[in-house]
Amino acid sequence: MPNRRPRTVRFDAPLVWPTLAALLLAATLTTPAEAADAARTLAPPESFQAIGDAAARSAAVFTEVSKVLTHPRCVNCHPAGDRPLQHESGRLHQPPVERGADGFGLAAMRCSICHQKANFDPGRMPGHPHWHLAPRPMGWQGKTPGEICAQVKDPARNGGRSLQQIHEHIATDSLVGWAWAPGFGREAAPGTQKETGALVAAWIKDGAVCPGP
Amino acid sequence: MALSRREFVKLVTSSGIVLSLARLAPAAPPGFTARETLPGRQAWNPAAAGAGRIDGVAKVTGAKLYASDYRASDLPGWPAKTSHAMLVRAADATHVYAGLDLARLRGALEPTVVVTAADVARIGARVPPFYRDDLFCAAGKTPLYLGQPVALLIFEEFDAFDRARLVLRDGTPVRFGRETGPVPMPPYGANRFVRVAGPTPGAPDVYSPLQAGWARPIRFQHGQVPVWAPARRTGDVNASASYHGERIRAELAANDPGMLVLDREFATQSVDPMFLEPECGLGWYDTRNGTLALVLGVQSPYEAATSVASLLGRARAGFKPRRIEGHFAYVGGGFGGRDHTPMPLYVALAALFLADRPVRLGHDRYEQFQAGIKRHAFTMRSRIGVDRASGKIRAFAADHVLDGGGQANYSASVADVGATGAIGIYEIPKVDVTTVAVHSRGVTAGSMRGYGTLQTMTALETLIDETAEALRLDPIEFRRRNALPTDGRTMAGNTYWGPVRTPEILDKLDKHAIWRERAAEKARRQQRAGILVGTGVACVTKDFGSGADCTLATVGVEPDGRIWIHNDAVEMGTGIGTALANRVAGVLGGVADEVAIAQVDAFGPLALVKTGDPYAMAQATQDRAARNPRWVPEISSPSSGSIGAHVSTHGAAEAARVVFRFGLWPAALDLWKIAPGDPRARRWETARWRDRTLVMPELPPLPLEQVAARAHARKGITGAMVHGFSRWAWSRATFDLAGQPWTADIDALAVRRGGGDFARRDRTSVTFPPTVYTRFGTSYSSVCGTVVRVEVERTAGVVRVVSAYSVVECGSALVPQIVIGQMQGGFAMGVGYALLESLPLYEDGPGNGRWNLGPYVVARAADLPLSAFECEVLPPLAPGDPPKGVAEVVMIPIVPAILNAIFDATGRRIQSLPVTPAMLKGV
Amino acid sequence: MTTLNLTINGRPHGPVDVRDELTMNDFLREYLGLTGTKFGCGAAQCLSCAVIVDEADGTSHTSPTCVVPAVAFNSKSVRTVEGLAKNGELSALQKAFIDHFAFQCGYCTAGFLNESQVLLERLAKAPVARADLDTTIVDALNGHLCRCTGYYKYREAVRDVILADATRYLV
Repeated sequence: MPNRRPRTVRFDAPLVWPTLAALLLAATLTTPAEAADAARTLAPPESFQAIGDAAARSAAVFTEVSKVLTHPRCVNCHPAGDRPLQHESGRLHQPPVERGADGFGLAAMRCSICHQKANFDPGRMPGHPHWHLAPRPMGWQGKTPGEICAQVKDPARNGGRSLQQIHEHIATDSLVGWAWAPGFGREAAPGTQKETGALVAAWIKDGAVCPGP
Repeated sequence: MALSRREFVKLVTSSGIVLSLARLAPAAPPGFTARETLPGRQAWNPAAAGAGRIDGVAKVTGAKLYASDYRASDLPGWPAKTSHAMLVRAADATHVYAGLDLARLRGALEPTVVVTAADVARIGARVPPFYRDDLFCAAGKTPLYLGQPVALLIFEEFDAFDRARLVLRDGTPVRFGRETGPVPMPPYGANRFVRVAGPTPGAPDVYSPLQAGWARPIRFQHGQVPVWAPARRTGDVNASASYHGERIRAELAANDPGMLVLDREFATQSVDPMFLEPECGLGWYDTRNGTLALVLGVQSPYEAATSVASLLGRARAGFKPRRIEGHFAYVGGGFGGRDHTPMPLYVALAALFLADRPVRLGHDRYEQFQAGIKRHAFTMRSRIGVDRASGKIRAFAADHVLDGGGQANYSASVADVGATGAIGIYEIPKVDVTTVAVHSRGVTAGSMRGYGTLQTMTALETLIDETAEALRLDPIEFRRRNALPTDGRTMAGNTYWGPVRTPEILDKLDKHAIWRERAAEKARRQQRAGILVGTGVACVTKDFGSGADCTLATVGVEPDGRIWIHNDAVEMGTGIGTALANRVAGVLGGVADEVAIAQVDAFGPLALVKTGDPYAMAQATQDRAARNPRWVPEISSPSSGSIGAHVSTHGAAEAARVVFRFGLWPAALDLWKIAPGDPRARRWETARWRDRTLVMPELPPLPLEQVAARAHARKGITGAMVHGFSRWAWSRATFDLAGQPWTADIDALAVRRGGGDFARRDRTSVTFPPTVYTRFGTSYSSVCGTVVRVEVERTAGVVRVVSAYSVVECGSALVPQIVIGQMQGGFAMGVGYALLESLPLYEDGPGNGRWNLGPYVVARAADLPLSAFECEVLPPLAPGDPPKGVAEVVMIPIVPAILNAIFDATGRRIQSLPVTPAMLKGV
Repeated sequence: MTTLNLTINGRPHGPVDVRDELTMNDFLREYLGLTGTKFGCGAAQCLSCAVIVDEADGTSHTSPTCVVPAVAFNSKSVRTVEGLAKNGELSALQKAFIDHFAFQCGYCTAGFLNESQVLLERLAKAPVARADLDTTIVDALNGHLCRCTGYYKYREAVRDVILADATRYLV
């Protein structure tokens, strides 16, 4: 579930109305079970074709992508500070650990002391050959989809990546991919890495527009 | 006394199974293990100089101490290999359990034995009432509670077990059928306590539970809501309680302008004791001799063994052991959660179904959360009426509902103790409290530190604070004005045993800098933008004792002056061994070299027998039974309820007094060449010990070793074995010793002369505490107060405790460092309970098998004011004052003090626990 | 399956074949009977399972054993609580824990001893300012849960050991 409710969409943009109407209509028709399903799945890019305006469509697609980005599997290692979060409720990681100089932990407690090269399921312990924290500028804990979008696009904060490279990172990076295979006891991010990549590609194709505010 | 020698008692249960219960036998020759587990034998005994605990060395060197440390190969005489068992539990209690699908456990993962409800029935096992109803949910039934076991799987090989538990942990092998909703069960207990004081403090009560009894509902509405008898002043206790109770409530509802009435609700949460060692046990059923040996870490060794005996008492051949041998280890934390749990029963079943092969059954932490005893969640509605002019509380009425979870366990008793504790330290002339503990499909709630009073006194002390504020009275002055004095009557109508020191505690709180400087601190610190500062105070009293407490102790002195103690209490961190050693040292002059605890068997010579229920027995029944000089109302009770200091050490103190009076003292007289007729011969109470030397005015000091050697040489009493029973007062008996009557607060005695064997001395007369004393809610009590300063961060709503002071009175503290340790640990647990810990009750709660630390938050070092928490223990009123229990009382006032401080800081009265940042965010 | 070789308290163990899924905690407790290292939560939240790992570069750190496979300790050098006393002589920390009544039930004590030991060794190499001592201790120990004591006496014991040898541990 996203950490924050999206802020109210500005009503003075006429093209927003159809989107809003579509969303409201969708909201009134969902049951709790359907809502839970919606949280775990990702709508495919085709389902956004109903939105005629490319910019509005692009923004809406990013909002869908943000279901993944704001999921604990991602936010836990994209924290606001220097300490990772843990589990499902955004609590600080225990034992207490810090990113250190390189994001792989302090000398006294490197991530790899516990996090092995792959998930260690008997210990419900996530793992990956490069388990580490995203750099400080890439922390987005507590931010809105719009703010995350701007951050992701900003070369000063995204490690100098082009849009193409952002797509590659999300669609193919294996540490990112861990979010969908986190091991026993952890809820996977919504959808699949492939679906998320497709959405990112669609977002870029329609202009990489950020939802506001 | 040789280390490995154990005297087996022929405790023959009604079913014919012999019980022998011993402290864990050491795994290696005495030299090694004496160093590790019996501190007296090593070169350095930290307790000898008053520094450190007697189990200190063992605990810092990783010695095997806890039940979870032992495997079969550690136990002499056992087969070497340990097999492993696990319980499969239902994470659903609203659908029919359809059976276990073990298809994924084929081949190497296949269990050797699967035990289900059908097997338990087949062998004729009967569940003791405390653990009703079913040890396993049978296929075709809806589980009684979330986490109820459906099967016990036993694996010969650890590797198979280790691999199988990974397969089983997602719960899919446990199949469910149609939805039925939760299984309804009647409430576990309900009572009503009504008291109306007489017109003046000294006058007899108009009405009280002590006079009339405890009232019960006549039925339950919707299966859960108590319906009280129609009011009739001259009716039975149920009707008369209704009569007086309704009048009290009418008075509170009458809108009398001269009386301030506050009507408040308060709700508390379910929490886990979260002791660090998960429950487990080791069992071995040796079919060659029919002995079932169990290694357990429990607070209630006697109850564990007798429950297993009760389970198997009518089992069919091959499953009814001839003898149950209990070996009781240290426990890695208890807090009440290891008192009366069903784990020993499952360990016994595992051993029986894998006969001749030792088997270990234990919980991982997910399972411990799923099955371990919880603290009751309470919902309470309280009404208080205070005379505006005088500030005196006139009346109090409350209704409590406890969620007892899936099994009865101690729920009825927790409800009663919570109810009788609901008026805390106050004198209130009109009280009406009802309580009911209901069954639910949640995890079983039972005994946990505070035992209901943590919940009810938190509600009370926040209500008191709000009342003081409404009356514009200083919170401590208001408490002073209403504090129950010594000889004042409790809610049940009895007086406390001993002086009530509430005024001293209140004075200490009043004078402490944290309290005095609260306004200045608020002004100073709130200059930091975004922080609110507040100070809160609370003062409570907690009883110790259960109304049927026992103490079993043997104390002996060897010719070289070595002292040894055997006792039935269990060590769960409370330092009971050290406390015993210190208490006996006061009488015999030296710190014990050997203290063996969790010994329930080593009292064979007393040949005790018990019949009936000490809580329910009629006076005539007790009088008749008491004619048998070996009869006692109860043989051994659990280590719980703050009873360590007062109850558990009492027997050792009495035994030591016998040894002194009839062993060491006559020996000293011999050495001083004082004739029996000399007047000084009777002045044994004037003698004092100093540095292991006996000192009498105008006589040469005698070293303990010399006196002990002489006592042995002249065949004086060098060892005494005693039993004591307390139903809010100790039983008292007279024995013929050395041709003279010896009267003491014990009811059974055996003595050893010189180096001989222990031989029983029948009592010549005995007075057991009257059965009517069962009507007391509390009798022994300690008072504790806390003042706390908090900071509330406004945007996030985070509460931080920045400083605190707690003060307690406990008679003579046997080991002051341990009392301080209890205060510090109680403080941490209180902070957790107030601010951090919470468990959902049902499907989202730990019964679903998915909870662990992480989502469950307990206090860490950084959550506490490590440099700013001050503890004080008041000195005893007189040097010889007996010790009193404190382990629970020191936790309680912290919680309402924090709530009161939050109000002082924010103006918000929080009426539920825990207080979360979400509740205060943006304040 | 992996063949495991490692050193524990200075003694070599192995070669022994172990399953890759076996936790280090089970290896120590079930296979070797070294139960001084405890099992508390199985989720690296309480650290009663923590041991000391001595790296080849001369640094040491603690490691949980409940969530880490035994095979991850292959070729490592490990210290457990059973190895802290030398030739029957308790370490300064062990003595201080006893003197201060630092523990009650004692179940978390091995973890606290190991963590404190590593802290001392770290301070000996990189001393801290006296003014930072309290936060240094709390930061080092904050991963360890204790349910009995409230941490007070653990902190005092560690503090006193450091202050008793201030020139070594403090600037």
